[in-house]
Amino acid sequence: MPDSSIKKLLIVDDSKVSRILIRTHILAQRPEWLITEATCGEDAIALVNTDPPDYCTMDINMPGIQGTDAAAQILLNHPSIKIVIFSANIQETHQARAHSLGSILVAKPVTEKSIALTLDYFKNAQ
Amino acid sequence: MRQFSELHLDALTEIFSIGAGRAALSLSEIVGDEVRISVPSVQIINAEDINPVTLSLTDTGRFGAVSQHFSGPFNAEALLLFTEDQALKIISDMMGSQMSNEELAEFEHEAMCELGNIILNACLSSMADILNFVLESSLPDYTVASAEEILHRLKKDSSQPYVLVLHIDLAIEKRHTAGNLVFLLSTSSLTNLVTHLDQFLGNIHEQN
Repeated sequence: MPDSSIKKLLIVDDSKVSRILIRTHILAQRPEWLITEATCGEDAIALVNTDPPDYCTMDINMPGIQGTDAAAQILLNHPSIKIVIFSANIQETHQARAHSLGSILVAKPVTEKSIALTLDYFKNAQ
Repeated sequence: MRQFSELHLDALTEIFSIGAGRAALSLSEIVGDEVRISVPSVQIINAEDINPVTLSLTDTGRFGAVSQHFSGPFNAEALLLFTEDQALKIISDMMGSQMSNEELAEFEHEAMCELGNIILNACLSSMADILNFVLESSLPDYTVASAEEILHRLKKDSSQPYVLVLHIDLAIEKRHTAGNLVFLLSTSSLTNLVTHLDQFLGNIHEQN
């Protein structure tokens, strides 16, 4: 029953509202998961190095480095982490970048539907 | 004003960032290249406190202003402001050709209305979708005016004493421009906006 096992998820987003929404929707589906948060790419990279999660949701437009660059750096040292790029910036270049990282880009806003896409990706990427 | 919390502003910034993302997608399809639009900050201020610095109207040149009226649970007059030089550069990128300045000027009105329509409607529609209400919009209008004329226009209507200012960064084909999106709101419109944001934020907390 891999679905019911406890997983660690890191939410990276500079918006508190977005972090709350992602956390709330995920916990509604996976109440046993352990969730940590970071507000920028640099903090996410540092957090991952000390306590690597199983999964990560990553915003693109944040202060400091872009989320896609942070994701690339994280995957360099921790290729087993599954990352979903969760962003309002849904242009082809970002979709392509997400795919080149072996990730997917899920369009904001954070809704049940976008969270379902995220959880599907995590599940199937195992 | 005091009923606006950091969380309200965070929610508005996020809502408008989603709108900016939609606008960037539409514009990138027009110009055939990557377009970056970000909303680095949202402010709510009293109309009487507006000054040239708040709206980056410190340039001595003229400004292009796309205006549109929105109505629904709250009414707003929206103004998208760029310097005219920047407006012409954006149009040049949108038209994607080596046009002379005279030719560009011919398209200025139409192209800026289209740009304003895309950005304003993307921002307002993301707000309407996320906060769960319906907004109707008028056709966009474009005027070129001095900083003084724009400030006068923003301050003259005492029935709209609040101003919601979004600073917008726009980059087309690596060329960076900055503008401002301004919403003029009546007291009751601002109160209604806060009520809708509270409902949205309340839903989040209830789910927690």
